Amino acid sequence: MFFNKKNSVTEAQVLEKLREVNDPDLNRDIVTLGFVKDLKIKGGDVSFKVELTTPACPVKEQLKSECDTKVRSISGVTSVEIEMTSNVRSHQPGPSASVPGSTKVSLPNIKNMIAVASGKGGVGKSTVAVNLALALAKEGAKVGLLDADIYGPSIPIMMGVKRRPDVHGEHVHPIEKDGIKLISMGFLVPENQAVVWRGPMVHGALTQFLTQVQWGELDYLIIDMPPGTGDAQLTMSQTAPLSGAIIVTTPQEVSLLDARRGLLMFQNVKVPVLGVVENMSGFVCSHCDEVTPIFRTGGGKKIADEFQVPFLGGIPIDPLVAEGGDLGKPIVLAQPDSEVAKRFISLAGQVASKLSTLQFQSTASFKPVGLSWQT
Amino acid sequence: MADVNVFPTELRQMSPTLLGIAWSDGHHSKYQVRNLRLSCRCAGCIDEWTRKKILNDESVPEDIYPKSMESVGRYALKFSWSDSHDTGIYTFEQLRAQCECPACKKH
Repeated sequence: MFFNKKNSVTEAQVLEKLREVNDPDLNRDIVTLGFVKDLKIKGGDVSFKVELTTPACPVKEQLKSECDTKVRSISGVTSVEIEMTSNVRSHQPGPSASVPGSTKVSLPNIKNMIAVASGKGGVGKSTVAVNLALALAKEGAKVGLLDADIYGPSIPIMMGVKRRPDVHGEHVHPIEKDGIKLISMGFLVPENQAVVWRGPMVHGALTQFLTQVQWGELDYLIIDMPPGTGDAQLTMSQTAPLSGAIIVTTPQEVSLLDARRGLLMFQNVKVPVLGVVENMSGFVCSHCDEVTPIFRTGGGKKIADEFQVPFLGGIPIDPLVAEGGDLGKPIVLAQPDSEVAKRFISLAGQVASKLSTLQFQSTASFKPVGLSWQT
Repeated sequence: MADVNVFPTELRQMSPTLLGIAWSDGHHSKYQVRNLRLSCRCAGCIDEWTRKKILNDESVPEDIYPKSMESVGRYALKFSWSDSHDTGIYTFEQLRAQCECPACKKH
């Protein structure tokens, strides 16, 4: 033996101390939650990994320093090495019992599907979707972005991509840009051509986006929904196993009215609403960075309270956001230190932790069911 | 009243005419399948404007059965019937309210 057993730190001591560290979202200690991995002790040198449920965890640094302080307080510990990792839990229901002729979409490689929706158009859904996707990817998550707005796709311009995706037989390869995978009707139809389709064709295209696009393994697939509560929304709620939805609104009453309809729709189809985001929430002065409420504020919070869903915060208007959108350089990438980018990053953290919380809360997890009748 | 977030955990054929549904809150429901066909709420069976029933119950065969059923999103079941009718979407709430087990029937 190289070390004197009497003086060396034990695994039990370290775990006991780590039991004092709580995940504030899940409200349980990190040992019980099974987050502590690869605990190695050599004399006084302690190293371990803390595996969180999302790389976008908003309290990652706080947890790390808490673990460090706790373990260092054990007598005999000379050094502590902590690696913060993550393993995004799948929010996808397992495959359903196979029913002949089933139209169900099974996407086992996509761990979480999040719809970004609003009742009203022009509230900045796509801006929120793009920046949310990029913020999650920045934290190290594998992210895809599906533009479900068949008639008015805006993701290609916002992300600054014009290429056509590669198609091999039935398989479509998503376009990769800035670390995320993208698919949009805008990649398939020339800019000067309008998509004039009836509802069933929209349904068909969206189903293909889900089934024929080779997404590979994804932690989060963000779905940029078209405005309203129509065909596209129904297709997504019925065929895609959505993990949750985010409602985007502006502070004004007309937008709130439509946001209410959106919320009701998701309630009807039992898709958990992760929260409400208030976009265009005040104006950021380009000289002093102060936020001035040019419209009324508080509308997003009001509607979130009314439906008892979380309010995820406000995103102020900043000319840089619009500029970034038009130039294909979203603000989270172009101006990562700006106030607006910080709000988007905070939004991503909240969304990711809400999804993790949902999973730990649900006593029985939802799974599709099916049955073939015997005669 | 059942929790609004209950969902079926298992579907089971209990006899040639009886469907059983086990729910996430532990309840077990039973349904005569023909009653389910008669309570279809699709636009072909219930008028969208007047909410009056269009379906003539007598036109539904006595020995009708669901060829198959499957989940629709997180909120409903879809049935494909032996009379080729397959447009009805039955929400979990509707199905639960229609439970024919002795305990539910009493209320």
